Amino acid sequence: MAKDIFVFIEGKDEGVRKSSIELLSKAKGITKNHNSTTYGILIGPKSEEMVDTVRPYPDKLIVVRGDGLDEYRWDTYTPILERLIKTYRPFLFLGPSTITGKDLFPRLAARLGAAYISDATGIEFEGEEALVKKAMFGGKIISWMGINEKDCALVTFRPNSFSIDRPSGMAEVIEEMGDGKSEEAITVLETKKTMEKKVDLQEADFIICGGRGMKGPEQFGIIEEIASLMEGRVGASRAVVDAKWRDYEDQIGKSGKTVSPKLYIGCGVSGALHHTMGMDTSKVIVAINKDPNAPIFQYADYGIVDDLFDVLPALKEELKKLKEQAG
Amino acid sequence: MKILVFVKQVADTEARITITNNGRSLEVENKYALNFFDEFAIEEALRIKERLKDVEVVVCSYGPKRSIEALRTAIAMGADRAVLIDSKDLDTDDPLITAKILSGFAKGDGFDMILCGKQAIDDENATIGPMVAEMLHIPHVGLVTKIETPEGGEVRVDRDIEGGRQTVKVKLPCLLIVQKGINEPRVPLITGVMKAMKANIPVLDPATYGIDVNSCTKEEAKVKVVRYESPGGRPPVKFIEGATAEEKAKRLIKVLKEEARVL
Repeated sequence: MAKDIFVFIEGKDEGVRKSSIELLSKAKGITKNHNSTTYGILIGPKSEEMVDTVRPYPDKLIVVRGDGLDEYRWDTYTPILERLIKTYRPFLFLGPSTITGKDLFPRLAARLGAAYISDATGIEFEGEEALVKKAMFGGKIISWMGINEKDCALVTFRPNSFSIDRPSGMAEVIEEMGDGKSEEAITVLETKKTMEKKVDLQEADFIICGGRGMKGPEQFGIIEEIASLMEGRVGASRAVVDAKWRDYEDQIGKSGKTVSPKLYIGCGVSGALHHTMGMDTSKVIVAINKDPNAPIFQYADYGIVDDLFDVLPALKEELKKLKEQAG
Repeated sequence: MKILVFVKQVADTEARITITNNGRSLEVENKYALNFFDEFAIEEALRIKERLKDVEVVVCSYGPKRSIEALRTAIAMGADRAVLIDSKDLDTDDPLITAKILSGFAKGDGFDMILCGKQAIDDENATIGPMVAEMLHIPHVGLVTKIETPEGGEVRVDRDIEGGRQTVKVKLPCLLIVQKGINEPRVPLITGVMKAMKANIPVLDPATYGIDVNSCTKEEAKVKVVRYESPGGRPPVKFIEGATAEEKAKRLIKVLKEEARVL
């Protein structure tokens, strides 16, 4: 079987989710070695701009159009993907481990009876064998999973697992029609978008996270300002969410989100195990805390022991200067 | 109405986990607990029961014998009945096999609604809900944050979607995957604990309810762990020194830019 790879392209607002582009870059690196083809799979594009954004990354781009396909639903997307996989017979189908990916991929895997590995962070080859890297037990253990199957295997990856390579071509577009008629079993009554145009916590390259040391909800203004300056996101520890200083969607940790940004800055975060389980795969970790014995320093690359409310304004000024220099 | 809740017993967050046998197996310190997210599912089933009265709450787990303790917790909280499906040596790394066994049980025992937590905190797979729903040919809704009282063969739920929230109406039977925020799980009362200690929890063999166990063996698993590794620890923290907070901030930016190269 040809070692072709499918990559699920997930939209965000009017554009394309960064993690889909990461996966296309990684897939192309693999198919180049196997003399095979990377296919991007784009269902129900919201705009032609979306198609144009993706085109430079895969070898071929399958665009599936049909009424009712612009919003993701497992009941419309699963049969379309089942048909495409049975037609093109790729050996891997990669997708992002996002809300959509976690909803769609297990359902599709069960329909196909396919091997499925979720929430992976890496993939390597030993000869012809793919080995998929995955964190378990809140990052305490890394497992390398093998795939014991000839047919297409499904793998979803955490955002920020791979870097984006410079695109090198312009994919041929294959147009397909799809049926957007949904099952009557589920009716959407109301949709409220709260976070439009904002980078997702799990996809952010920069996260500044507030802990109990922030003292109160009104103190988060400064870290909000730093986050928006860096085009990143504000995170929160469990204590902060439980105290209702921040919403649950900001929570990082065992009972919240798992993140791995390029830079994580913890402000007044003590570093309890349930928090570090959600952030210790970050590339660089900075901790700012008054207490030099706070456990967060065992996980950090760089630490500042000082009063947060003295450090944060200074940090904001320095970052502003840096941004201005960069133009 | 009958609500089925699928739960898992997992290693406690604080349990020590050691890699043994040259990276081929794990040794978990004997500290187990009911999976964090599953408590929300049990609690939600009990709340529906409290509102609708004529509801049976059945809690089921597929796992080794020790999992019976997690089921006792469910009974102590107020579940009517619990069943353990004994994994014996069938335990595999393939979620499709677990889903096959749980959906086989659901088919045999019957249900109007299935509830489960959003993910197990040990393997972190978050796969069982949609897989079981697919195998039973019923709809699923993920990341549910609110369940209204079922009425007229339907239930209204709120769920998280990318960047927002959605209210949907689902026909029964269905499977709902719940997450933190939906409720505050109750702490069992002493009377509940007493009841749970005495409760008879049947231990079933998957073969007894028509599962083709030959398709559920380690050999048939489509994915399996080849080896375990410790995550590479970080070098010790470098404290940024300085006379003032401003000076420390300035030095931090410099190392982030020049040494760590993340700015």
